[in-house]
Amino acid sequence: MTRYEVRISGFGGQGVITLSKMIITASSLYENLAATQTEAYSASARGGRCWAEVVVDLDKEIKIINYPKALKPYDFLIILSEESANLIKPEDIKKDENTGYLIWDPSTIKKFRAVRRIEKALSIPVQILAVENFGNIVFGNSILFGAFTILSGFISEESAIETIKNFVPSSTLDKNLEAFELGKKEAQEFLKQLKEGKD
Amino acid sequence: MKNNKRYLPEGKYVMMGNVAMAEGALAAGLSFFGGYPITPSTEVIEHLSKRLLEVGGSCMQMEDELGSINAVIGASLVGAKAMTATSGPGLSLMVETISMAANLEIPFVLCDVQRIGPGSHGPVTAPHHNDLGLIRFAGHGEFQVIALAPMNCQELFDLTIEAFNFAETYRCPVFILSDAYLGHLHEPIYIPPKEEIITRVINRELPQDYTKKFSYKDDNIGGYIIPKPPIIGTDYFPLMTLHLPHNYEGLPGVSALLFMEILIEKIKTNIDKISITDEYKLDDVDIVIIAYGLPVRACYHAVDIARKEGIKVGIFRLVTVWPFPDEKVKKVVKNVRAIIVPELNYTGFIAEQVERVTKLETPIIKIPKVGVLHHPDDILKVIREVSK
Repeated sequence: MTRYEVRISGFGGQGVITLSKMIITASSLYENLAATQTEAYSASARGGRCWAEVVVDLDKEIKIINYPKALKPYDFLIILSEESANLIKPEDIKKDENTGYLIWDPSTIKKFRAVRRIEKALSIPVQILAVENFGNIVFGNSILFGAFTILSGFISEESAIETIKNFVPSSTLDKNLEAFELGKKEAQEFLKQLKEGKD
Repeated sequence: MKNNKRYLPEGKYVMMGNVAMAEGALAAGLSFFGGYPITPSTEVIEHLSKRLLEVGGSCMQMEDELGSINAVIGASLVGAKAMTATSGPGLSLMVETISMAANLEIPFVLCDVQRIGPGSHGPVTAPHHNDLGLIRFAGHGEFQVIALAPMNCQELFDLTIEAFNFAETYRCPVFILSDAYLGHLHEPIYIPPKEEIITRVINRELPQDYTKKFSYKDDNIGGYIIPKPPIIGTDYFPLMTLHLPHNYEGLPGVSALLFMEILIEKIKTNIDKISITDEYKLDDVDIVIIAYGLPVRACYHAVDIARKEGIKVGIFRLVTVWPFPDEKVKKVVKNVRAIIVPELNYTGFIAEQVERVTKLETPIIKIPKVGVLHHPDDILKVIREVSK
């Protein structure tokens, strides 16, 4: 049992649920791993506080995830609103090697108290990058998906690209792939810094 | 051409629970859905309103739940495999017609995506296994029903096919007990090839004997015979009496007592075929967990941890929740020190049944939860306490 617990939270409309569906699709359909996804429902998904969780089992022998909700401490947190940032405590996230990543968006979160005490915290101004580079905040999803793919390490690039093709309209595919590359680069840079920091 | 779309191409899909259930119904041959949207079951009617048209069936949004269940019964009477989906408040509106359907042995399937209750207020998207109390005697009069409790999206697909088969075979109301959480869960599911699905499905057939269209007791073999359901508008169904206990022809002529016996015993005597159960690490147990639906998944997690600590604990899972398998439970709880029953309700509907069957000889510890799932730690804590 090697559960990988992912939680994404923000507010409705930021693509929280779409991103979680991209993660479960990539890991279950393309990587053949057992996975479940749960999400906020009704009003909260349409503008209120919104969350989604994905549990993936990295053991290929496991066919089904037992407990469907993500268990604390998480392997991966993506935090996109100040309200959800306030609920995060440093102990909510794993401290082991190659896991325990946090991605947060400083363009929507002014103050993130716990972040100083989280070792592997990567800030990407997703909304600003999406608007400046691609003209619409919806591309933020592909940026985050790119960063997730690199940091989590269990989704191959081919699987990730197939997933994006599944999710976005074909007219915006090129821009989404560019956004995906941008996210990847941010994450690769971050991993490099982490490594240098250790050395 | 149209029927080719009934079966999704073989393969793996990521599906929401409600959608997986709807696809299971289509695979089972569903051709009529009558319903009224209610959170958290709405995705079922939403999905079927598109899909049923593609396969030449019909999906009707009725004016309310009373209309929905009556439309379903009517469709089944004319030979369609029919179902509805609702939640607790809708179900309570449907019970009168469910009773009538039980009397006339009209097959249908009802998916109950349970939400918190009682009443129509409150956090309607929270799970609560509170309808079992209503479902097991779902209406006035006496009759038996069948209720299945899936625990993941794959089972929502597979058990829905089973539910339709039970409805065709036993001609009683068949319920699928889903809940707000399970209905909205997304999971990968495997859809088998069309050829394999077809072998699993029991089709609607006409009765073999022109005169025998309702269940009866055959004294020669000492058992109960359940003919295939008659279809209105055919020669098989010119007569029926709604208001009187009826014999196999649909005419008055049996005593009320015998009529009740037939309605109930036709299910009870077939319990071995109806009762689906599953066992997990039960070989050498001191403590047994009896559970159904989503809480079972938290139990697997807890049991795996407890086993590593050397605690001899296992799970007896009810896939068919009703009728309750008395004999199987008696066998499982023999020689155990304690029974743990985690349920997503306060009352403990299944715990009550376990108490009845064990005659309170073994301690039974309930773990009630309402509106939120059992965390594996909730169960682990009780296991550890009991094992001391």
